[in-house]
Amino acid sequence: MNSTIGIAVKDTKYFFREKGTLFWTIAFPILIMLLFTAIFGREIPFNANIGIVNEDDQTSLTEGMISVINNMGLFTIKNFTTRAEALKELNETKVRAVLIIPQNFSQDLFLHHANVSLIVDGTSPDVAQLVGNAIKTSVVAYCKGVLNYTDPIVVDEELSFVGQRVGYKENIVPGMLCYPLLFSSMVVSTGAIVYERERGTLKKIRASPIRPINVLIGKTYAALFQTAIAILIMAVLAFTLLAPALNWNVQLLAIVMFLGAMNGIALGLIISCIGRAPQEASNAAVTIAVVLQFFIGMYFPIEYLPAYLQEIGKVIPMTYAAQALRDIMVRNATLNDVAFPIVTLALSATILYGVGVLLYRRWVEK
Amino acid sequence: MSEKTIIAVENLVKHYGEVRAVDGVSFSVKEGETFGLLGPNGAGKTTLMEILCGLRRFDRWKVMIHGFDLVKDSLKVRASIGFCPQETLLYDLLSVRENLAFSAALYSLSSKKFKERVEFSSKVLGVGEFLKRRVQQLSGGMKRRANLAASIIHDPPIVILDEPTVGFDPTIKREFWELIKNLKGYGKTVLLSTHDMYEADEICDRVAIMEKGKIAALDEPHVLKRTIGGEPSLHIKVKETQITNALKILEKYKCAVVDDEIQVLAKDPWEIMTEVSDRLVSQGVYTDKIEIVEPTLEDVFIKLSGRRLTEDGGEK
Repeated sequence: MNSTIGIAVKDTKYFFREKGTLFWTIAFPILIMLLFTAIFGREIPFNANIGIVNEDDQTSLTEGMISVINNMGLFTIKNFTTRAEALKELNETKVRAVLIIPQNFSQDLFLHHANVSLIVDGTSPDVAQLVGNAIKTSVVAYCKGVLNYTDPIVVDEELSFVGQRVGYKENIVPGMLCYPLLFSSMVVSTGAIVYERERGTLKKIRASPIRPINVLIGKTYAALFQTAIAILIMAVLAFTLLAPALNWNVQLLAIVMFLGAMNGIALGLIISCIGRAPQEASNAAVTIAVVLQFFIGMYFPIEYLPAYLQEIGKVIPMTYAAQALRDIMVRNATLNDVAFPIVTLALSATILYGVGVLLYRRWVEK
Repeated sequence: MSEKTIIAVENLVKHYGEVRAVDGVSFSVKEGETFGLLGPNGAGKTTLMEILCGLRRFDRWKVMIHGFDLVKDSLKVRASIGFCPQETLLYDLLSVRENLAFSAALYSLSSKKFKERVEFSSKVLGVGEFLKRRVQQLSGGMKRRANLAASIIHDPPIVILDEPTVGFDPTIKREFWELIKNLKGYGKTVLLSTHDMYEADEICDRVAIMEKGKIAALDEPHVLKRTIGGEPSLHIKVKETQITNALKILEKYKCAVVDDEIQVLAKDPWEIMTEVSDRLVSQGVYTDKIEIVEPTLEDVFIKLSGRRLTEDGGEK
């Protein structure tokens, strides 16, 4: 066997014997393929929450209309009794649009001057356009089909959007800022422990009177610094190249990014504690980060995910970072508005660090 | 060396699955003593040392180090120890000074104390000449010195050295022995593991010979050699063609031929040395070499285990 083949054979054997590396190499394409199939393998790759306030007296007619909207398979419908309740949830992005069917709507249909109010969350252009068009089309089609109503249904334009109506670049910048939170933070921290172990220098650290939490915090400082550089570069480039019309509330953004980065770093440290070889840990981090980006609403709204995958997205801390960044930059959210995601991120970071310390004791100090 | 016990190990046991790597080991080390763990690879030396440094858990114990319980006061124990394993635990892309600073930080050393310790390392371990150089630019010997300097930067009372000179050429090995002796001069208690019999003999006050996880013998090297290694013997080297003739001349003595040398066993070889030499010369047998060889720790090991230690720490 010549030396070139010898090296190839050795590396291949090594690859098969590093169980973790092998696992993540196989897991990566499987996870990505399953995810793409779940997202794009359906006829209608969309599922959003919408609210309906039905104020009409003749409910049988309007219920039929609501049923048509429901049967489109694009929406999960939440019924509200008052406009105030529905608009509150719209402002909190719990629903993406509110359809208000006014009093006397059925009667007005017979009188040929019916109108409805459709209020769409304008801060997500993809969702706004899709939801708006779909509801308008279905309402008009239903009225025509049932009552042979040929006059146009007037959709109240005055209330057609809430929030700042944003363009695509404004929509994508908050997502781009999530990139360093997810990728940079995880990748830099993934090497933290596993490379020390590989070099043997972990022995030096473990033989010294330093507690596991202090090791992890020390590693976190370094990872935070590196992540901050990535965030800064990303933000400056986004600001200068795209010049998006966004709210740059630096203080609030810094809080969210700090907490988001802490979550990413903690996750990376956990992988680093478990990883037996740098390549294994690196494969794991890349696989997890690539998969997570689809769940957290970073590049496209999580409404594009099937309902069950949206539920998974809700338990991923980074989803709240992405949501908070978007709310601050697009919807001019205040500290009060993003208190929930901030608290969620802080709690999850604390839990992840707790897990990190346990794993350090279990895997590193064994 | 004081009489105060600084390391006390009682009935220490460590299993790796079914294998007992450390099997009921007990010993104590006095303050200021240089104590050697001698034995082949796989005897349990490294496991034992890593347990003492808090790097490995163990199954059964009573270990007190510097007055602290190894389990209950783990952090205090670690602060009392400077551990220098056989591999170099330095960061290649950092300078020696930066590596020392990192080690100092692990022990929360003040900057004043750090400066003092760097001066100490420069003076005693000779790292001053390459403090600013990156580790990747250093020779093997320099790396080992820097490694030792980093291990004791916090001025620990106890220094644990795992196979400190393995892979060294004889000159550097002797240099390193001097460094270890210097540490003893500064009042440090040194616990070292080695499979080098001469190293143990040269620098250790007491030696524990380890075999299959147990201590087979423990005492000062000269006592071990005298009590276990056997008597000194007279070794004579003659031309190969004259060996038979020489054995005939020396038939009144108890002789054996080992590795082309005639070994004359006697209670007091010094007493018969001149007589043996004269007899051979008078019969026309000229000696290339005639010397009295005292038993070594290797002889002790052979007596205890029935095997010989090889240079790389294996057995044959």
